[in-house]
Amino acid sequence: MKICLVALLLTSCAYSQTIERAEALWKARQYDAARNIFEALVKAQPDNPDYKARYGRLLLERFNPVEAAGLFQEAVKIKKDHAGALLGLALVSADGFESKAGDLARAALASDPKLFEAQELLARLALEDNNPTKAVEEADKALAISPKALDAMAIRAAIDLMADKTDSPWIGRILALDPKYGEAYETIGYFFVLNRRYEEGIEFYRKAIALKPDLWSAHSQLGINLMRLGIDQEAREQLEIAFNNGHTDKPTTNTLNLMESYKNFLTFKTDNTILRLHKKEAELLRPYFESELKRAIATFEKKYKIKLDRPVQVEVYPDHEDFAVRTMGMPGLGALGVTFGYVVAMDSPSGRKPGSFHWDSTMWHELSHVFVLSATKHKVPRWFTEGMAVHEETAASPDWGDRLDPQAIGAVKEKKLLPVAELDRGFIHPTYPSQVVVSYFQAGRICDYINKVWGYDKLLAMMHDFGRGMSTPDVIEKQLGMKPEEFDKKFLASLTEETKRTVDGFAEWPKKVKALSALARENKHDDVIREGLAIRDLYRDYVEAGSVYEFLAEAYLAKGDKTRAIVELARYSEIGGRDPVLVKKLATLLEEAGRKKEAAAALTRLNWIYPNDEELHRRLGDLHMANGTPEAAIVEFRAAVAMKPHDTATARFNLARALKDSGKEDEAKEELLLALETAPGFRPAQRMLLELSKEEKIRK
Amino acid sequence: MAAAAEMGSSVKRLFILGMIAAGLNATTFYVTVAGLGGEPEYEQRFSGWAKDIDKALKAAPDSKVDTLFGEAATKPAIRGVLDRIAKEAKPEDAVVVMLIGHGTFDGADYKINLPGPDLTAIELAGLLDRLPAKRQLVVNMTSASGGAIDALRKESRVIVSATKTGTERNATVFARYWAEALHDPAADSDKNETVSALEAFRYADLKTVLFYTTQKRIATEHALLEDTGKGEGVRAPSTENGQGLLASAFPLLRLGSNATAARDPEKLKLLAQKEQLEQQIDRLKYQKAAMPLEDYKKQLGVLLLNLAKTQAELDK
Repeated sequence: MKICLVALLLTSCAYSQTIERAEALWKARQYDAARNIFEALVKAQPDNPDYKARYGRLLLERFNPVEAAGLFQEAVKIKKDHAGALLGLALVSADGFESKAGDLARAALASDPKLFEAQELLARLALEDNNPTKAVEEADKALAISPKALDAMAIRAAIDLMADKTDSPWIGRILALDPKYGEAYETIGYFFVLNRRYEEGIEFYRKAIALKPDLWSAHSQLGINLMRLGIDQEAREQLEIAFNNGHTDKPTTNTLNLMESYKNFLTFKTDNTILRLHKKEAELLRPYFESELKRAIATFEKKYKIKLDRPVQVEVYPDHEDFAVRTMGMPGLGALGVTFGYVVAMDSPSGRKPGSFHWDSTMWHELSHVFVLSATKHKVPRWFTEGMAVHEETAASPDWGDRLDPQAIGAVKEKKLLPVAELDRGFIHPTYPSQVVVSYFQAGRICDYINKVWGYDKLLAMMHDFGRGMSTPDVIEKQLGMKPEEFDKKFLASLTEETKRTVDGFAEWPKKVKALSALARENKHDDVIREGLAIRDLYRDYVEAGSVYEFLAEAYLAKGDKTRAIVELARYSEIGGRDPVLVKKLATLLEEAGRKKEAAAALTRLNWIYPNDEELHRRLGDLHMANGTPEAAIVEFRAAVAMKPHDTATARFNLARALKDSGKEDEAKEELLLALETAPGFRPAQRMLLELSKEEKIRK
Repeated sequence: MAAAAEMGSSVKRLFILGMIAAGLNATTFYVTVAGLGGEPEYEQRFSGWAKDIDKALKAAPDSKVDTLFGEAATKPAIRGVLDRIAKEAKPEDAVVVMLIGHGTFDGADYKINLPGPDLTAIELAGLLDRLPAKRQLVVNMTSASGGAIDALRKESRVIVSATKTGTERNATVFARYWAEALHDPAADSDKNETVSALEAFRYADLKTVLFYTTQKRIATEHALLEDTGKGEGVRAPSTENGQGLLASAFPLLRLGSNATAARDPEKLKLLAQKEQLEQQIDRLKYQKAAMPLEDYKKQLGVLLLNLAKTQAELDK
């Protein structure tokens, strides 16, 4: 018995010393050694939740949130109210911008009311939701628990500095407690970046590093944000400092890899644009992107009544993973495009399935951000800048932008839309899977509504008020003359009226389309037409696969009624249908009907959706030639050549034809010789060569 | 026919011209087989592609076409067709065998799934070896067709397979684009009014690759071409890897009138002049990298103009 007691004491003592050793090694940044000890501890005492929770925190700090979460879960299974483990889970959720982070932090606090770290996390979450009042309350609660809660003070400082105060007393208090606490500036930098105030964020990361040069996470963030603004050389230097000192998290390594891939990109500069395109598609995409970029800038300069003071840089990534690196660590992004000040990063049309992505609409969306962020000096709530961007898409062309989708219909029906004053929450910490998408929809419709009722200048006035640092409730009250609650009521009434038919009929609609599909399979064309016409306008925005327009067009074609088939396909296209197969079918029918200008217009729409299609450019070029617009044909035939088709001789010959008809005979001859170099016996090209040579002789 | 320039020297061009000349008075025997689909969708797809190929080939001059699909596509039927060709064909003739459907490879031998007993690659090779026609093209467009290359490979025989190995087992789409190559004038990339085996291969391969990239699907087939009689097959035939020379000289489908012109004695002088110019163009292209670009363009322009004038005379 005595021996057992001694053994137990020794074992306990050994474990105690070991956990202390692990913590000491962790503090000394000897992470591998600390990890080994934690591993041994967890193995030796699998029922000890404290070891699991602490080990989880080490793993979380060392960029392994998955295993960390697993350990926290195991700890909670052993002790369901383990405060450390609950906090760990809250931190993992918070890093993923999950809404449950708050509940987990509150559960940790309920278990241990002295756990000020959980209270600090609640303050961070509130500020992420753009709710500074609540963030102050939560930070003060943390400080009430511990007057040394440095991160709570950092959040207070961030609130002051983001409100454009030149200084914050909280900085002094932090430094008085820990003169080397660079993490405070890192936290402030984080919030500036989260609010898209990248340049200011960068300055705070610099301050963090100045105070604590070995704060490798700040070096990493500084590098990432410099990269976002296109300051590549310094970005790489900072990222390498972080990486070489063991800060090898995904954002750091992936960003370094991305920067390595920049050698595969080409940069094209004009007076107000910088375009970065992948080598393999630069020749094809450049004319379309450059002309649309310039058109959008010119349009927005007029609409927003401001002139940008520097060129806008647009980066286009054919590999979605590269684009994803650009957006890493950002909440609530639709992952199509993202704006960092004057730099826009976006997916290439080639990175997505044909018809699933409208690149031009996305680019205009992002460019709207450039203007709104520039006009407000980045002091704008997320809902407003997103709402303006969504509004501008359909303002550019009604068929651009997003249609009323089932998630939005569901949110309207179930009254899940957020009050305008809280709409930012829907972007940052969504409480249901589709809330980010729904929030984009709602924000866009709010801007549409303000534009409709008060006019576009009112939106501009609101934008400038946000730029002055005013809050959403204050701006609504000042510019629209009502409380946000009243605005919500009026907006919802208008939206409900607008969407009533679709929302009311939505439950039945899928069944009716299914029945329509069955009729189509049985080739009951008259029934398809009768039923299709009856349900088409119940949900007119539905232009995805299996749309009523498609069924109707097919039924009309089967009955030989091409005119009505054209009407349905044109309706599909005008509403926003983007399937290249259907749009091409419309163009073919229009062409057959002798309506070549309309056919060209239909195909031109596809250039803004999926230009990586040689047949599209060939057909469009031919239509432009037939319509007597060879200049337009040149653009399309050049695109066809850029796609390096199997039949390069014909592609170059077509280009030569367009150049010749545009009076550019020297260029035409150049292209003709390139065509004949590939196919010396190409008869039509030979004939044109003889013709051009004759004309040349006559000229001489 | 495939651009001779890509094959390199004028020596190669002469080889190709020789092959064409040999082919001008010859017959091409085409055998297309669409195997078991297993499911109605595949049955329809495979027989549809076979019918498309059949239609294109029957429109060509000097061709003898046998197309087997559905219940008729049995091993004895294939043997019967090849036995008949063995009796009819002359050494200067050409034979093209095209296989569509599901294939399997067990690590040792390849089989195409047929109604009744399947046909193995070794059995097919035995049947082809008996044919007097020296020039042979086997286009195996089934799944796992890469597994048949070893058994079929032979001097003077061009082999195209839809997959790079016998382990690419998913249903293929290569046949769809091979059939398309026989209908689309764009397949004739050098515009000599003949679609060569190499041109059809490149056309179908490019379209197959595009199919997978635009659909954002992982490519489960990677077509190969082997025409040296000793290689493993390559994705991109070129001078560097020595593949494609025979395929570029294998006229798969004649689209125009060049064959007729060759038979007109009054135009033989012009034809000789045309061939001489074409050889000069090939030689010049071969020297392109070693000469100033302006000189190259100037000389090329003169030669192309002369060729155009000669062709205009021939067309009169």
